[in-house]
Amino acid sequence: MTSLLPQSAPPTAGHPGKLIQPDWAEIVRITPETEGISTFWLRFIDPQVRERYHFQPGQFNMLYLPGYGESAISMSSDPEDEERLVAHTIRFVGTVTKNIGRLKVGDVIGVRGPFGTSWPMKQIEGRDLVLACGGIGLPPLRPAIYHIIRNREKYGKVTLLYGARTPKDLMYPDEHEEWQRHDIHMEISVDRGDENWDGRVGVVPMWFYNFRIDPRNTAVLTCGPEIMIRFVIYEGLARRIPAERIFVSLERNMKCGQGSCGHCQIGPYFICKDGPVFPFSVLQRYVNVEEY
Amino acid sequence: MLDITISRGTTVALSKAEFDLLLADLRENGYQTVGPRVQDESIVYADIQTLADLPRGVQTEQEAGHFRLMRGASNNYFDFIPAADSWKKFLFPPRVDLLTVRKGKGWEYVETETATPRYALVGVRGCELAAIEIQDKIFIRPDFYDPTYRLRREGLFIIAVNCLHPAGTCFCTSMGTGPKVQGSYDLCLTELDDVFLVEIGSELGRSLLSKRKYDLPSAFVQNIANQRLARAVQEMGRSLDTRDLPGLLTEPENLEAARWDEVAKRCLSCGNCTQVCPTCFCWDATDSVNLSATQASRTRVWDSCFNPAYSYVFGGNTRPTIRARYRQWLTHKFGAWKEQFGTLGCTGCGRCITWCPAKIDHVAEIAALREEVNS
Amino acid sequence: MANPEVLAELKKIPWFGTLSPEHLEKLAGITTLRPVKAGETLFKEGDRQDYVYIVLEGRVALEIFVPHRGKVRIYTCEQHDVFGWSSVTPLVRQRTAGATAVLNSRVACMDAEKLRQICDEDRDLGYLVMRRLANVVASRLMVTRLQLIDMFANPEEKNA
Repeated sequence: MTSLLPQSAPPTAGHPGKLIQPDWAEIVRITPETEGISTFWLRFIDPQVRERYHFQPGQFNMLYLPGYGESAISMSSDPEDEERLVAHTIRFVGTVTKNIGRLKVGDVIGVRGPFGTSWPMKQIEGRDLVLACGGIGLPPLRPAIYHIIRNREKYGKVTLLYGARTPKDLMYPDEHEEWQRHDIHMEISVDRGDENWDGRVGVVPMWFYNFRIDPRNTAVLTCGPEIMIRFVIYEGLARRIPAERIFVSLERNMKCGQGSCGHCQIGPYFICKDGPVFPFSVLQRYVNVEEY
Repeated sequence: MLDITISRGTTVALSKAEFDLLLADLRENGYQTVGPRVQDESIVYADIQTLADLPRGVQTEQEAGHFRLMRGASNNYFDFIPAADSWKKFLFPPRVDLLTVRKGKGWEYVETETATPRYALVGVRGCELAAIEIQDKIFIRPDFYDPTYRLRREGLFIIAVNCLHPAGTCFCTSMGTGPKVQGSYDLCLTELDDVFLVEIGSELGRSLLSKRKYDLPSAFVQNIANQRLARAVQEMGRSLDTRDLPGLLTEPENLEAARWDEVAKRCLSCGNCTQVCPTCFCWDATDSVNLSATQASRTRVWDSCFNPAYSYVFGGNTRPTIRARYRQWLTHKFGAWKEQFGTLGCTGCGRCITWCPAKIDHVAEIAALREEVNS
Repeated sequence: MANPEVLAELKKIPWFGTLSPEHLEKLAGITTLRPVKAGETLFKEGDRQDYVYIVLEGRVALEIFVPHRGKVRIYTCEQHDVFGWSSVTPLVRQRTAGATAVLNSRVACMDAEKLRQICDEDRDLGYLVMRRLANVVASRLMVTRLQLIDMFANPEEKNA
């Protein structure tokens, strides 16, 4: 099958001669983000793996906790991190991630990756960008934000739309100022405000009603709950942004990361290798087929 | 003395006694010879030593949700049509240990290297060989390979056999995979009452055969074989119109057809069709630990898109209904598969129909869907 | 004659730019501008309706008082958002939510009764206004639906 986005290099962590044998990484730092969500900073124990491992914004790793299993988690750190640390911002919800949540600095977990397609940072150079995300959809976009900041002159207007349930669910608050300093316009909205919240109450797709965009030169990158993604797409398409320039990141059950186990299929695509990032044009025919 | 030089493509006549010697040769060369055996009123693929282990004089009666062994008219070894078991289990075993780790300073791998078995498959039908070649495309790709599958596949010796007595659920002619074997084999048999006609498909096959006593078949014998193969085509139990595939099953509007609701009422979501299917490849990884939690293992097991957990992501199942799961299976097998692997995922073996406890006939389902969307 | 300052402010709003000068003049004629300080309440739930508002700058929150929970902020209106639109629906009732400025803001206030009157008299303008309001209501409905779904909720909580 022809690939939809520039295919990434083969995974550099994990043993190719074994089906799913991870490399080991030490947790060197844990940053609590919000309730039930923390960022785990990992360093590969094998210096060779540390050297060769490199990921693109939007890709994911399979994290392995012995006895519990693997979980597909996007990287949330700077791909060019100076210490060569790799961060994952993890919500403790399933068996694997809940138990990752019990780990401490110095503990070791398995890592395979990086897997999947990435945000098309090269292809969208010169465009105005709308990064629309909600909840746990911000972490997979954060590497793209770092990339934009590092190459700010290559992109036009950049707007980051970020939705969360309540003000205390907003992630990476310490960095927002830094992002805005690099001329990334942020629009944060929450579903439910409180009296101390003087920001927006509303939802991410609503932004399209309030702001003018140039559909001929705008690209949208979106990640978050599938329902939010759908409404961002509806609003984007209604304003004549072509479907090929709306990029979405999808989530499905994944076991292998290599298009072998079958779980993550949608139509002809394996989300783990043909995605997780897709131009919406290829998903268009399936998006409104319920339970597909 | 006739001058018989055999090479790839040559067909020889081999007595059944000589065939047993060929099996012995294979074993001497380190192959584990596996083939059909009668077990539990059905037929399984298991270790065989000689032809005597095979289901001699046995035919099968197969219909939707129906399988029965019958006494055949002849004493031949390959008159039956295979049952639920397929060769898949030898290349893509239902359970494989993936890794074991021990807690030390961090985690370390416990080496559990086991020798890769070398199988000689005896009696691979056209549809079954096509199924193996479909799974090759899934497990051995330029960008990825499954080591378990690849090692077993590379060492495989295949003795194929042309089908002369198709069952009621067979439709290999529709899928272009049989009854005459099409794929790459080492040797291919056509069974006549007294001899096997053996066509040589590989140098390895030629080499093994060259040690046996064989004859060149007469025109008369060859003609009988050809007639029987032609009759087998006529006796095919079912036929599937493939002209509008995969489109019929990938068009989004057809994904909302009423037929899916109808079939969902009958489907039990038991997953039998996926377990007996020789091309279904989905798997899951399961985890286990020892009591002191100092050692953990991962095991690969067959999975099925009919399992509710198959498409579970935290918080919910993306295919919560039987309708969604049946539709996923059928539209994958006869639709999306084509775009993924360049071929449909079905070879017409009919197992999914025979072994469906609800007698769902997928050939009929496709026809019904076609009728609905075209009316 | 409409106040030129009002006219200038309305012209900055994209939708008004699509109107004919005559229509624009009519709407500007029933509009006044009003600064609102952060924390200041424009109207309370239960008030008689009098104006349709457009945010010129700042942010205005719509809040409903819920016993035992206090004021619940259901939506914030951003620049160029319309609020108080229910005052031009045929059945005029009292305010169904309160509006309080979150930031120092400026709003345009359109006399609702006069607006209804203008729309009745000039059906062409009336059509354009109603079309615009339909879009406002549609966007508000979208937001409400998405909030109703509570898409960021922890699934465990939902299942509990």
